[in-house]
Order: sequence, then C-alpha cells, then structure tokens
Amino acid sequence: MDPAASLTQPALWPLTAIVFLPALVAAVLSLPIVPRGRDEFIRWTTLLTTAVVFVLSVWMAWPQLFGAAGPAQFRLGEPGMQAVVKLPWIEAFGIEYLLGVDGISLPLVVLTTFLSMLAAAASWPITKHVKAYHVLFLLLETGMLGVFVSLDFFLFYVFWEVMLLPMYFLIGIWGGPRREYAAIKFFLYTLLGSVLMLLAILMLYFTSDLRQLSPEQLLASHVVSPALDAGVQADAVRSIKDARAPVHTFNLLALAQIGQLPDSPFAAARVWGMSLEKWAFLLLLVGFVIKVPVVPVHTWLPDAHVEAPTPISMILAGILLKLGGYGILRICYPVCPGAGLDFAWLVCGLGVVSMVYGAFAALAQKDFKRMVAYSSVSHMGYVMLGLGVWSAVAGQEYRWDAWAQGVNGAMFQMLAHGISSAGMFFMVGVLYDRVHHRNLEEFGGIFNRMPVYSGLAIAVFFAGLGLPGLCGFIGEVLVTLSSWNYSRVLAVASAFTVILTAAYILWAIQRVYLGAEYKGPHGDHLTPITPRELSIAAPLVFLAILFGVAPQILFNYVTPTVNRQVETLADWTKRVHDAPAAAPAVAKVGADSAAR
Amino acid sequence: MDTAAQLPLLLGLAWLAPLASFVAILFFGPRMGPHGRNAAWVATAAIVASLVLSLFAAGAWLGAHPVQVSHHGSGDVAAADTHAGDHAVDHHPVADSVAYSGDWYTLYRGGALRLSIGWYIDALTVLMFVVVTFIATCIHVYASGYMHDELHDVTDHEVHLSGGGHLHRPGRFPRFFQALSLFCFSMLGIVIAGNLAMVFIFWELVGICSWFLIGFYYERKSASTAANKAFIVNRVGDFGMLIGLMALWGALGTLHFADSQAIDGDVARPGLFSLVRPAAGGHAIRVPDGMVKFAAAAEVAKTPPAEVAGKIEDWRSMGLGRWLLLIAGVGIFCGCVGKSAQFPLFVWLPDAMEGPTPVSALVHSATMVAAGVYLVGRFYPVLTPDVLLVIAYVGAITLFIAATIALVATDIKRVLAYSTVSQLGYMMLALGVGGWAAGLFHLVTHAFFKSLLFLCSGSVIHACHTNDMRKMGGLARVMPWTAGTMLVGCLAIIGAGVPFVIGLSGYYSKDAILAQALAFSRANPAHSILFVAVAGGAFLTAFYMFRLWFMTFAGEPRDHHVAEHAHESPAVMVAPLVVLAVLAVVAGWTLPGGFGLPNLLEQARPVGTAEGMTGGFAFGELVFPAEHLSHEGAVHVTATLTAFATAAAGVALAALMYLLRIISPAVVATIFKPAYTFLAGRWYFDELYHAMFVVPALAVANLASGTDRGVIDRIIDGLAWTARQLAGVDAWIDRTLVDGLVNATAAATWNAGIELKKLQTGHLRQYVMFIVVGTVALFVLASLLFRTSLAG
Repeated sequence: MDPAASLTQPALWPLTAIVFLPALVAAVLSLPIVPRGRDEFIRWTTLLTTAVVFVLSVWMAWPQLFGAAGPAQFRLGEPGMQAVVKLPWIEAFGIEYLLGVDGISLPLVVLTTFLSMLAAAASWPITKHVKAYHVLFLLLETGMLGVFVSLDFFLFYVFWEVMLLPMYFLIGIWGGPRREYAAIKFFLYTLLGSVLMLLAILMLYFTSDLRQLSPEQLLASHVVSPALDAGVQADAVRSIKDARAPVHTFNLLALAQIGQLPDSPFAAARVWGMSLEKWAFLLLLVGFVIKVPVVPVHTWLPDAHVEAPTPISMILAGILLKLGGYGILRICYPVCPGAGLDFAWLVCGLGVVSMVYGAFAALAQKDFKRMVAYSSVSHMGYVMLGLGVWSAVAGQEYRWDAWAQGVNGAMFQMLAHGISSAGMFFMVGVLYDRVHHRNLEEFGGIFNRMPVYSGLAIAVFFAGLGLPGLCGFIGEVLVTLSSWNYSRVLAVASAFTVILTAAYILWAIQRVYLGAEYKGPHGDHLTPITPRELSIAAPLVFLAILFGVAPQILFNYVTPTVNRQVETLADWTKRVHDAPAAAPAVAKVGADSAAR
Repeated sequence: MDTAAQLPLLLGLAWLAPLASFVAILFFGPRMGPHGRNAAWVATAAIVASLVLSLFAAGAWLGAHPVQVSHHGSGDVAAADTHAGDHAVDHHPVADSVAYSGDWYTLYRGGALRLSIGWYIDALTVLMFVVVTFIATCIHVYASGYMHDELHDVTDHEVHLSGGGHLHRPGRFPRFFQALSLFCFSMLGIVIAGNLAMVFIFWELVGICSWFLIGFYYERKSASTAANKAFIVNRVGDFGMLIGLMALWGALGTLHFADSQAIDGDVARPGLFSLVRPAAGGHAIRVPDGMVKFAAAAEVAKTPPAEVAGKIEDWRSMGLGRWLLLIAGVGIFCGCVGKSAQFPLFVWLPDAMEGPTPVSALVHSATMVAAGVYLVGRFYPVLTPDVLLVIAYVGAITLFIAATIALVATDIKRVLAYSTVSQLGYMMLALGVGGWAAGLFHLVTHAFFKSLLFLCSGSVIHACHTNDMRKMGGLARVMPWTAGTMLVGCLAIIGAGVPFVIGLSGYYSKDAILAQALAFSRANPAHSILFVAVAGGAFLTAFYMFRLWFMTFAGEPRDHHVAEHAHESPAVMVAPLVVLAVLAVVAGWTLPGGFGLPNLLEQARPVGTAEGMTGGFAFGELVFPAEHLSHEGAVHVTATLTAFATAAAGVALAALMYLLRIISPAVVATIFKPAYTFLAGRWYFDELYHAMFVVPALAVANLASGTDRGVIDRIIDGLAWTARQLAGVDAWIDRTLVDGLVNATAAATWNAGIELKKLQTGHLRQYVMFIVVGTVALFVLASLLFRTSLAG
C-alpha cells in the first residue's frame, strides 16, 4: 500500500490522535523548556489534554452531539470493526499499525478517556515531582487507550508494556509508606503475565497461515484493506494465496478467523500432548486474569491500591482491571474457541471463586481502601463468570441468546464497575486527604460533618452494592441469571454473593458515615467537599444513575458486536466442535433403538 | 380512550408522582420554607395526586368491569350444587379474569430474552393502588404533625457522646419526606410490575427505602444496626428469590406474568401464567415445556432435534421438570419470606421499630411487609400444590411464634410489630391452603387496622415520650380520641363482630381464613394442624391486643411523671386516626348489590383456581378445596363460631389479668418462669442466628483475608526471596567462576605476553634465526601433512 495514500485515510487521525495526544503532550512537558516549578501550568495542561482526548472520543462515539458528523464517526448497530487505521510498521514480520474500534472497545475507550480526565482533576493534591507525575500519567493514558484499539497483536503487546512502566513508577514514587513493595509486586505479577502472553503471541504467530483464509475473510479481517481498489485488492489477495511459505500474521481479526476454521492450525498443532490452541488459551488467560484479577493471583491488587495515590487507584480499578476482561473477550475466545469451550469451567469457576472469596475478604478488612479493593476482586468475578458462560452447554440445544446475555452482562459490569469503583476509591481518597488515615474503626459521624460528600459517597457505594436504579445492578443480574444454564452450583454461589456484598458495604457505610461522632484523629480537618472534588464526584454519581436507569445507552453500543461474536461462536460450536461427536451419538441412538 | 390505554396511564402517573416529589425534595428540600417545612406539603401533594389518580383508575376499572353479585350472596346454594357447570358460567362472568399488561421500557434485550419495565393491571393492582396511596396519604398528614420536632434543632437523648451529654443536631424534616416519597414510588412499582424482574428491582428499592427510614436516627447505633439487619436479612430472602428467578429465566426465558405483545420487532411470547397454566389444559398447572426440556437435558442431547418436540409429553409424564417448578416457586417465596418477615427471617421486623412511628405504620406494617403476601398472590398461578403447602406451614409457624412473643413484650411498638408478623403469617397460611381471596382480603383489612394501631401507638408515644407499656395506664382519660380509635383497631384485628350478622373488617377476613383453613384440614386430615394454628392464633391475638389496650389506656396511671405530661395529640394527627378507624370498621362490608372487597378480588382471581385444585408430589397428594365452598354450609358456621369463641376467650383472659386484675400477670410469669423467659428472650433467634451465621461468616472472612496475607503473599514473597537468593548464587557464579575464568584467561594472556616479551631482545641475529627455524618447521609440518594426505 502506498504510505502517502494511506496517510489520507479518513480514520487515521481521530484514533491516532486519541491514542497519541497524551504521549505527545507528555513528551513536550518533559522537555526542559517547561520549568519544573510551574506546577499549576502542568496540572492544567494535563487536565486540558485529557479533556480534549475525552471530547475526541465522545465525538467519535456520539457525533450527533456535536451536530456535525466526526471524520471517523461510529455507526451504531454495526457489529464490525470501524474507523480502522492500517499502516505498515515492521514489514519483515507483517507487523502493522492497525487500529480500530467496535462495540466492545469503543465504550471502554470512552470510559478510559473519561476516567483519565477525572483522575487528572483528582491529581491536584499531588505535590511531589509534579512534572514527572503528569508525564507518566499521560503516558499511562496512551498505553491504556492503545491496548483497547490495537488490532495487531504485537502492537497490543507493545501498548500493554507501555502501560506497565508508568504504573510501576506512579505507585513506587507517589505511593504510601509501603509503595516500593506494592510497586514491585504489581510489576512482577504483571510482568509474569506479559511474558506468558508474549509466549502465546509467538506460538500463534508462527502457527498462523493467512493462505488458509478465503479472500472474503482476508478482507473482513483487514489483512487486505477493504478501502483499496478492487484491482489492488485482488493483487494483494493473490500475493498471499500464491505465497510458497506460510504467511504468518499478528492481525487479531485474522487470527480469530484462522482459529475458527474447521481445520484450524492452532487446534491441529500439538505441544507436549495438548493442542497449541489450549496452550495459547491458558497462557493468555493467565496473563489476563492477573490483570482482572482473580483469586489466587489477586494479592497485588489490595497492596497496589492501598499504596497508590487516589487518582492512580481510580485508574487502576476503573480501567486497568478491565484490560484483563477485554483481553479474554477480544483475544482468548475468538482466537482459541475450542480451548474456550473446554476451559469454560475454569473461567467460570475462577469468576465465582473470586466473587465469593473477594466478598468474604472485603468483609474482614479494617482498612477502608483495602475493603474497596477486595470489592473490586468480587465484582470483577462477575465479569469472568459472564464471559465464561458464553461457551456453555455444547451438545445441547443452542441458546446463543443465553450466552450473549452473560457476555453483555459482563461488558456492562466492566463499564459499571469502572464508574462505581473509581467513584469508591475517589470517595475514600477525599477522606484520606483530610484525616490521613483509612481505619474503618476510626471514622463515624461523617454524614453530619460532610453531608453533600456523604450523600454522593453513599450513592456510589450503593452502586457497588448492586442496587437497582444504579449501574451495578444490571450487569450483576444479567450475569447471575445467565449462569443458571451453565451450572446450577455456580449460579447459586453467585446469587449467594449478594448477601455478602450487602453486608460489607452497609457495614462500612455504618462505620464511616453514620453514627454520632467522628472517632479518629484530625477531626477538625473534616471540611465540606470542595468544588473541585464535587466536580469529580458528581459526574460519577450522575453516570451511575444514568446507566442504572437507562442501560440501553450502553447496550446500544455493546450488544450488536457481542451478539454477533457469540452467534458466530455458537455456529462454530455447532459446526466444528460437535460435528465429529454427533455421528457416534446418532449411531448410539440407532443401536439403542435396535436393541429395543 | 379505552380502559386498556387509560389504566396504564393513570396508574403510571400515580406511580411516578412520588418520584417527582422525591427528586424535588432531594434537590430543593432544605430551601422549602423555614427548615424545609413545606417539604411535607410537596410530598403530601404528590401522594394525594397518586390517590386521586388511583381512584380515577378504580372508577375506570369499575366502569368497564362492574363488580358482579357472586353466588355467595345470592343464596342460590342448591343451584350451585346441582348445576356446577352452568354455575361457573352464570355467576363467574369474570372467570377468565381480566388483566391488562404491556411494557413501557426495555432494560435489556438479546435475542428472545427481554428484561423490561411494564405493567400488569387487574382488579388486585387497582385495589392495592388505592389502598397503598390512601394509607400513605393518611400517614403523610399524620407525619407532618408527628415529625415537627425535626423542624428545629433536636437533642437526641438516646445518643450519649463520648464527652458526656447528648447529641445536638439540626432537624431533618425534609429528608424524612424525601425518603417517604421514594418509598411510595418503590412500593407502587412492585404493585404495578408486569414482570418478576421489575418486581425484583422495586423489591430491592423498597428495601433500601426501609434502610433509610429505619436508620432515620442514624446517630443511634441501634438504629443503623437495625437498618443494616433489615436489609441484610432481606437479602438472604432475595438470595432465594434470585434462585427462583434463575430457574424461571434459565428454562423459560421470560419473567413476564402475562403474554407479551409484539413490540419493536419482537414477536409475541407467552408469559409465565399461560406457560404454567395453559388455556388448552383448562388452566390446570402443567410443567412448561421449557422446564421439561431443561430437566431432560441429557435426553435432549441424545435426541435428534426434530424428535424433541414429540418426546416432551413422555418426559413430562415421567415427572421431569416438576422439581424445577417447585424450586422456582419456593425460591420466589423465599423473597416473600424476607420481605414479609416470615419464619425464619422475621427477626428484622421488630428491630425495624427503631424508625419513626409513621414509618412503622406505613412501611413496616401496612405496605412494604405486605409486599411479600401481595407477590405470593400475584404469582399464585405458578405456585404448585407442594409450594403452597410450604407456604401454609411457614405461615403457620410464623403466626404461632410471633404471637407467643407478643404475649410478653412490653414495648408498645414491639407488640404491634410481632402482631404484624403474626398477621402476615395468617395471610401466608391463607394463601397456602388455597384461600387466595381470603389472604389478600386480610391483607387489605389488615393494612387499615394495623396502620391505625401504629398511628395510635405513635400518638401515645408522642404524648408519653416512652414506648414502655409498664409506664403507661389510664391514658384513656387524657387521650380519648386515641384510646377510642385504638379500641376500634384492636376490635378489628381480633375479628370482632356479631356472628352471622355484622362485624368489623377483620371479622370478615379472619373468618374467611378460618373457613378456608378448616376446609383444607377436612380435605387433608394429615394437615389439620394448620387449622389448630389459625384458631390458636386467634386466641393469642385477642389476648395480646387487649393486654396492650388495657395496659395502656385502662386502670390507673403507673407512672405519674408520664401521666402528667400526657396530652391528646393535635388534630393533624387525630384526623387520620379517625379516618382509618372508620375504614377499619367498614372495609370488610359488602354493600347490597354485591359491591365489596371479596367480590372485587374475585375479578382478579388467578385462572384455574376458582374450583380448587389437587396435586402435589413431594408431600403426597393434596386437595385444595374451592374457596367459595368454604363460605357455605357447615364449614362456614364452624369457622365463624370458632373465631368468635377463641377471640372472646382471649379478650376475657386479658380482661381478667390486666383490667380486673383477678389473675396477677406477675404470678403467672413466676409459675411459668422458663416459658416466660424463653418468650421474653424472643425464642433466642437473634442469639441463634448470631452464632450460626454472623460469627461463622466473619470467621470465614478473616480466614480469606488471612489466607491472602498468610499463604498467597507468603508464597509470592517466598518466590521473590528465592529469586533473590538465586540471583545471589548467580552473582557468586559470575564473580568467582565466570569472572574467575575470564580473569584467569586475561591473566594468562597477560603473563604470556610478559613471557613473550622476553623474546623481544632487539638482536637482529636472533630474529633471523627465529625466522629460519620457523620456516624450516613450517616446511617440515607441511610436508608431513602433505604426505599423510597422499597416503590417505
């Protein structure tokens, strides 16, 4: 493809700007021309940058809001990839600068830009090395956005790592007393995941072969850009089909197409007695579930949260945890559907264990922030369960809508948890900024001291509790209802969690906000909420209510893509997975009737 | 506009009006007049608007569906017996009960699955709207007087600060009405709900409203603890309810009560009622196809898809899927157990009396706790005989336990709270023995007289500033209106009346329950204990209610300090008492022409239940006699006389002990000391649950948290430590072996250089000799090699 022509791709600039604007500003800020002492200037620049990125992402998602259609406007109801950007990058390995959004990634992108903006506003109390902090913060935003929009596995991995380092420093330098322990723990856990992921990436790359795909599939997966002229397309397709050696690819869409072929090379290749598909699935799964996180690889989360400064906790809980769920949904299942079907019990089981274990652990915490951190473990368990029930009940009547409900519920839960957990961490941070402790036993009476703040905080905690009318309810109820068809035991366990959730959240509210008087130190610092804090808390509460009352706003984006993916995989199960098994079953029935 | 379009509009607006009030008070409450005084007007205006709209809806309903004279009042018993078939047609013109349903709003849709906000309106819905909004209106008016303390700064004498003294805080008058409005909205949401998902949504919302209202005095530890307890215990019930929802949703893919219309591209689908009671089968209960297939999953997998449909009847006859229907019914009932404070989850309701008294009257006696009963009534078509039997027994146990605790309670509100639990048990039992109309009839009459009783008790507390009946007595003289209206309430709750002639509202509803329980006991002799429970409960009710009235109003004042300050409440509080007292008297009456609650309820009777039903597999074959039969002949007479005799005996005993003081309560307590202690300790349920659930849950929580720190983190830290040790070993190897080798090589090279340096002498002759020797040596070497290769 002619690079000059591709620079005029309509979609190039919006997505590229959304991803790289923060990094660009970070680069400028890090130059010596920005004096170190200009803290206010740096803060405002960062806030403004995140705001611009937010507006750009909203422009993409909801062009009607701005009157004019954006250059890469998102078309609702269309399930496929949109606003695809495709440029060659490292041609020797077929690595491309391939970005795109669909109904799964776009809401997460908007969530990221939104929470980054709020977190930037929440960064005002940071006074240590302000310049370095904001440079790293902006880099982090680029990394997160890049992961959500990358369609090239290598690029995905690069962004994944780009995200890791700023986070390490943000916890390790600006954190609490045990920040170094927490930072290194976070880093090592995540690095372990990345290494395994890299292994899986290389396995898949070297097993993939684009020649197996039909011309239509090559176009659909943007291996050959559908924007090209028909003649150029045909040439490109022919050059792939006629290649003598296998044509490997990092293209995630193409890998998914290959993985779902009846003669998938991933399923055929075997490593140490297990199919390569299963190895790749497990390696990727480990990498992703560390991020989610699920029990038993979750212990980095409480430490990281307790030590991280408030805005970083918001980002961590609100966005970083979603990367794991996103990775499973975007990569694990479509690329390795057979393994996904075989390991459904693992995904669902991990989810339910996390839900119950996290809820119990939250009940035992004395540290307010630790309690909220464990509530994240519990809530993200719903995401795992919802994604897992997807591959439910092979060999029976195909109820794709029941699976789709679980996945839609999981997606909704991710978005809702992004709002509620970021809100909860912010609310804890507001108190911590004033009294510098988080001991649940040493609060009380906050409602009478800070009424507006407490009202908003209780609303956010109720969203976490899964109260109807707030965002936490929809995802939980959809996931729970969908799990019954997969496993009665897991369904009952997930329903049981609602009791524990109510217990730990109401108990915390009672100890912190209710009661007659404040029992801890620095009581005179409990001043009412400031306008800056209000401008962060109020949008979160507003969205928690909005998405709770009108979940269709999100489902309009999410369901078309999720439903198509689930339908595709349901068909795949019917076609590929059960086809060999069906014959013996019929034979057995025949034998039975003959015996009668 | 026809009725089908009118009713959702009217009731929808009636439902949303309190929400508007909530939002208005939330944002502008403190600015509504001095100390937010006008918030009461906003909330009251909203609920009055709801009442008016509900009344319009009732008018529209009655215009379209006039209440028919049922055979019960016609005296045409012989004809009913001889022409049972014709009879059903002639006298049950609404046998196919009319209901309007539809969806306003979709929350989620994926494939055939749809969760939505919609309506299901039948006579029961309309009736409940009128009842709820009417009682709520009375209580709003009452509360605007009762809560006036909150209009200025309050000193809370129950809160002791660490520095000594009591809590001094600003009043929060608007916040009370804000929560009350949200509650009304949520409660009406349950009533109008068109599907179980919507019921569940508003179920949780009334739960949280109850949390706000119980914890209104949140500075008191006891209040916030009671609020948490109420919500968490309710969630235990909701856990069961969720299982029921999953069982239905997973197998049937719908939670709609009624068949849904085709809207926005979605095809029409049968609802739960017609799935479980298909019209084709004469509305008899049948395990739906979806549940059969679900239970026969293993068989379905083995059967070619085309043949599945043909085999369903076989599988159904094998009993597949009936357990699923049982689980669904019991699961939904679990939610009702929590909300309606039934055994074993009734422990939260007495503690809920920590809230202000108007809340106790509205939320914790008349409406929210009745939601469980309402849901059982609404969901009735799906409940199988086995589920009904479970419901009947839970109701019987509840009514007995709660009544016994009420016998010895001394806090006036707690007596009423246990009485509420007990009466809810009555309703559940009635529904469980097939008395659908009887149970819901009692729900309505109870709503009137129990809210009346609570408001009266509030009036007493307002006057005495204490809840303790042992400090009261003789209040009838200073509070004649309160005493009089409360006497009406007591008479209503015990079902007082002149047998076969006329009575207070409770007389009719309680009679109906007794009659149905008796009919059920006769049909199922194995379960005749249920009738004993009802009759015994009637005796206990009469005793503890009149014990309460005598202790409070009769005799001489026990505490002169209290008596001196007592005064009649202001008119704004007394007026609602009088209105409710009138209704407590007349609510059960059937006017000439047949207009009355029982006949109105008959319009909403679930299809297929009019002629009773039989069935059941888990607890043996059960027979549920048709409800109209219990109003006739010997059953009716026996039931009425039993009710009268037990109630009279209860009142008589209470009079002997507390009015005439012929029997000393203290002596009785001493004689039956173990029993008294047990009852006064409330059967020790709180202690039992604490030991059985709270302590283990906290232990597991600590275990989980400890595992993280003690096991997982140990392993992680251990790995890190191991890595560091390995790195140390690695560093040693680097330093000693690798570096040693490198250094040794370097040293050897160096040394070799040093040695070789010695050769560099600078003598030309010596160099020439080296060259010669070297050349010769090379030649020798080369020739040797050359020869060998030739030889090879």
